[in-house]
Amino acid sequence: MSAATARLPRRPPRRDVIRDRRTWLSLPASYLVILLVLAITIAPMLYMIVGGFSTTAQLNANPNALPHPWVWSNYAAIATSSIFWQAVANSVVVAVVATGLAVTLGSMAAFALSRYTFRGREVFYLLFVAGLLFPLNTAALPLFLLLQQIGLNDNLFGVALPEAAFALPVTIVILRPFMRAIPGELEDAAIVDGASRIRFFLRILLPLSRPALITVGILAFVTSWNAYLLPLVVFSSQDHYTLPLAVANFQSTYTQDTARVYAFTAVSMIPALAIFIFAQRKLVGGLVGAIRG
Amino acid sequence: MRGSRKPAIVATAVAAALTIAACSSSSSSSTSSTSASSSSGSSAKVTLTWWNNGNTQPLLGVWQSVVAAFHAAHPNVTISMNPIQSDLFTTKMPIALKSDNPPDIFQQWGGGQEATQYTSGKLANLSSLASGWISELGEAAAGWQVNGEQYGIPYDQHVVGFWYRKDLFAKAGITSPPTTIAQLESDDAKLKAAGITPISLGGGSRWPDAFYWEYFAVRECSESVLQSAIKAVNMSAPCFTQATKDLTAFMATNPFQGGFNATQAQTGAGSSAGLLANGKAAMELQGDWETSVVPALTSDKNIISQLGWFPFPQVPGGAGAPTAVLAGGDGFSCTTGASEPACAEFLQYIDSTPVQEELVQKAGVGLPANSAAESVLTNPALQAAAKAHDTAAYQAEYFDIAFPTDQGQALDTALANFFAGKGSNETIINSVSSSSGH
Amino acid sequence: MARTQSAPVAGRETESPRPATAGARPPKTRRGLRKRVELTALLAPAIVLFIGFVIVPMVFAAWYSLYNWSGFGPLNDFIGVQNYTGVLTGPVFHQALLHNVIIAVLSLVIQLPISIGLALLLNRRVRGRTFLRLAVFAPFVLSEATAAVMWYELLQPGGPLDALLKAVGLGGLVHYWLASTSLVLYSVFVVATWKYIGFGIVLLLAGLQGIPPELREAAAIDGATPWQVTRAITLPLLGPTIRIWIFLSVIGSLQLFDLVWIMTLGGPANASSTMLTYQYTNGVQRTQFGYGATVSVVLFFISLIFALAYQRYALRRDTAGALTRAVL
Repeated sequence: MSAATARLPRRPPRRDVIRDRRTWLSLPASYLVILLVLAITIAPMLYMIVGGFSTTAQLNANPNALPHPWVWSNYAAIATSSIFWQAVANSVVVAVVATGLAVTLGSMAAFALSRYTFRGREVFYLLFVAGLLFPLNTAALPLFLLLQQIGLNDNLFGVALPEAAFALPVTIVILRPFMRAIPGELEDAAIVDGASRIRFFLRILLPLSRPALITVGILAFVTSWNAYLLPLVVFSSQDHYTLPLAVANFQSTYTQDTARVYAFTAVSMIPALAIFIFAQRKLVGGLVGAIRG
Repeated sequence: MRGSRKPAIVATAVAAALTIAACSSSSSSSTSSTSASSSSGSSAKVTLTWWNNGNTQPLLGVWQSVVAAFHAAHPNVTISMNPIQSDLFTTKMPIALKSDNPPDIFQQWGGGQEATQYTSGKLANLSSLASGWISELGEAAAGWQVNGEQYGIPYDQHVVGFWYRKDLFAKAGITSPPTTIAQLESDDAKLKAAGITPISLGGGSRWPDAFYWEYFAVRECSESVLQSAIKAVNMSAPCFTQATKDLTAFMATNPFQGGFNATQAQTGAGSSAGLLANGKAAMELQGDWETSVVPALTSDKNIISQLGWFPFPQVPGGAGAPTAVLAGGDGFSCTTGASEPACAEFLQYIDSTPVQEELVQKAGVGLPANSAAESVLTNPALQAAAKAHDTAAYQAEYFDIAFPTDQGQALDTALANFFAGKGSNETIINSVSSSSGH
Repeated sequence: MARTQSAPVAGRETESPRPATAGARPPKTRRGLRKRVELTALLAPAIVLFIGFVIVPMVFAAWYSLYNWSGFGPLNDFIGVQNYTGVLTGPVFHQALLHNVIIAVLSLVIQLPISIGLALLLNRRVRGRTFLRLAVFAPFVLSEATAAVMWYELLQPGGPLDALLKAVGLGGLVHYWLASTSLVLYSVFVVATWKYIGFGIVLLLAGLQGIPPELREAAAIDGATPWQVTRAITLPLLGPTIRIWIFLSVIGSLQLFDLVWIMTLGGPANASSTMLTYQYTNGVQRTQFGYGATVSVVLFFISLIFALAYQRYALRRDTAGALTRAVL
């Protein structure tokens, strides 16, 4: 996907069958291995989805059996639960804001760190990397106090902004090499034509980096979607809960409504999986630049 | 060209941003408390935020009706309820108590935990506000005192004892519950002979392990030794070592289910409560909440009537009173501020007999803090538990609550390790001596 | 690989692209000023957000580590490095650190070859390849907490996994997956593998896309066996990707928490403890906030030392990477 491939001499495409014949695992055996992997990966999740059609009592009495009878009430209760839809809305708002901020600010910073030379550049880069290495849970209390100071407590932005900040290191680390890989000649040509570097950034570099931008977008979205600790610390009222927090509603002091938890989780995954399906081709393309750049 | 001044520009921008952030006043969140009158029940409007652990039915519904009824009786007081799942309090309370507007009323388990929270300076002293009615709660209130002052008020009581399945006992030919440890062990043997796991244990959750050792300590130690040990946070008295010996001997009879070290207490199919509920084990040493836990874990609709209760058996030669029980409870604390009088009134309302009866009957919280409400208990097993609780020579609070949180948790961990085969009497006794976990 | 955050780090530094120099040169100062303005505009927002919400809390948290503090009340018991002595000399912490290292090593030794093999397989034109990639990536999308709850249920004695083993005649393999002190850490590792291998495969797939097929075909034409082609061409060209994967995996292994905590609480008897379960048990549950912050700082420095050393090592290899240069 990177511009560099365009420079390779074009050859007539070889037929796939040559490649297939000359690999060390025959085609049927490959299918077998893949099916095995599929089984291992999917089976536990199927267990969870099917468990949502059971009742907790059944699951506890007979965890290995299929639901008998199949119960729709768990999934139905979720679909009609205002708490669920509120949590979906909250999760979406937080994830979209966090992702948008992370990708925007991250791409700007990655551009600066990849295509400008200045003293202290590597220090800034290392600063971002350092943010990856510190566990979030200890920073939760000081972060909470800071949010309180600026009035973002129990507020969706009080979660979205820190999430964007924590997503910056990953974003910059992926985008930087990819932006580097864009040939300097393109930039020179743009300058010659009278464009500023910022213009080059907006009009040429960003569109070329679209796969990488989508990559970091997916990562930031999924991370925000599943975030648990930060929302727990920041939100005190239930109507601000995001989806991972709303699951806690199925657990009381002493008991857990396991069937409801399974059903709820199965449904919660749908948006994040949808995003992945939608963007998965670009996901693969985007990371190519990171490796080759 | 080196941008040598660029870092300076950036630093200035950062400093400016942070200064602006620090100088802006904190906004009031939607759940802040407002000013209240100086005397209770006066006409100024008050809103109280209430953090309780009733996030699921039936407790959720009961608390909601309590809020509505209180508001009807006290129109100037509005209570904004915020239920939070029980385990999350560990994370949220320290943070809330550090914030500018902690909740006005919050879940409080008393004992040393309360004493640790007391150091935040945000807990309200309710001694004078509650002096008129606190005696209704009897001895129960003592567990929520710090230095003799009332910093929390209980709303229910718990007692720990053996829950057993009458059908499985009958199957193994056991005619009456054991009263001594020796009898318990022989009953275990009978159950095993009948192919039944004698006792289920939720070792994976750590705290169920602690019940056994703590009960042996309660049986072995006299009341005064026990109380001074708790107060001094020091378990060097010989009766504690004897408790470990008793426990070791008991464990040597292998009364528990296989893999008990990873079994959780109440969640899911393989939990210790689930095993009891589904007839895969005959007994469990648990609190009175068992009757709330068990129905959800089995499709047997008659499970509650199948369960009986007997107190922890006697230990020969122990210095502890034979009727002493291990006990605890749930309560609430108020935070300091203008909301204190209204808060105290609300807690008084919760401890009034009609509300207590509702909590026991509808919400199944266990035993009421106000013993006048005990008459509504219909389950014979719970009645037996309540009787044992009330007639006990004294009620020993579970050690992990009685001790300050740090030492209490260390004790739980040491005991769980001991049950998993990695510990000794020394590790248990010394676990409360060091302040941080090494 | 086991991760709690996604954290790829480019393991190589290349030369910056040439700055635009074509055309007439404006006066040096004006160009320099403009560059500085641009840099500030580009970098400042990210820096401000990052320092405000990440660095500042981190620094405060590190500050707590110098105090004996329960998390309640004021910070008034300054004890200097006493927390650090406690953490660094405690055998329980050493055990937790050892577990983190074991998981990191296992992920390199077991997960990496599996990931590479599966990536190579999923690179082939098999039917339903897109669906397969989705299926493999899906566990990554599941939240850690729920994955842990689910696997906890699956690994119960007599639970679905045991039932499955018995059903296919492998009943002899049934063990106490979570209760046995000798097995529990490896059970946790298997669950972590299940959760994160999808991301690793996607990462490696991306690297594979970047290898021109013509190279492999040329080697094949020259008479190399498929295995030789893989070993001599594919794997070396996959090197940068693999090095990123390794970095991610080690950092993730060091920060493993949620999965372990919900399944085992780090037990039984600390048999599956990690540095962060140690921190939660001794810092949070025991209301020893200062002590907990100390564990975080120690973990940070361990990660930093690894990151710096790894960057230096990987840097050298990749900037000298003649293979990639030749291809491009």
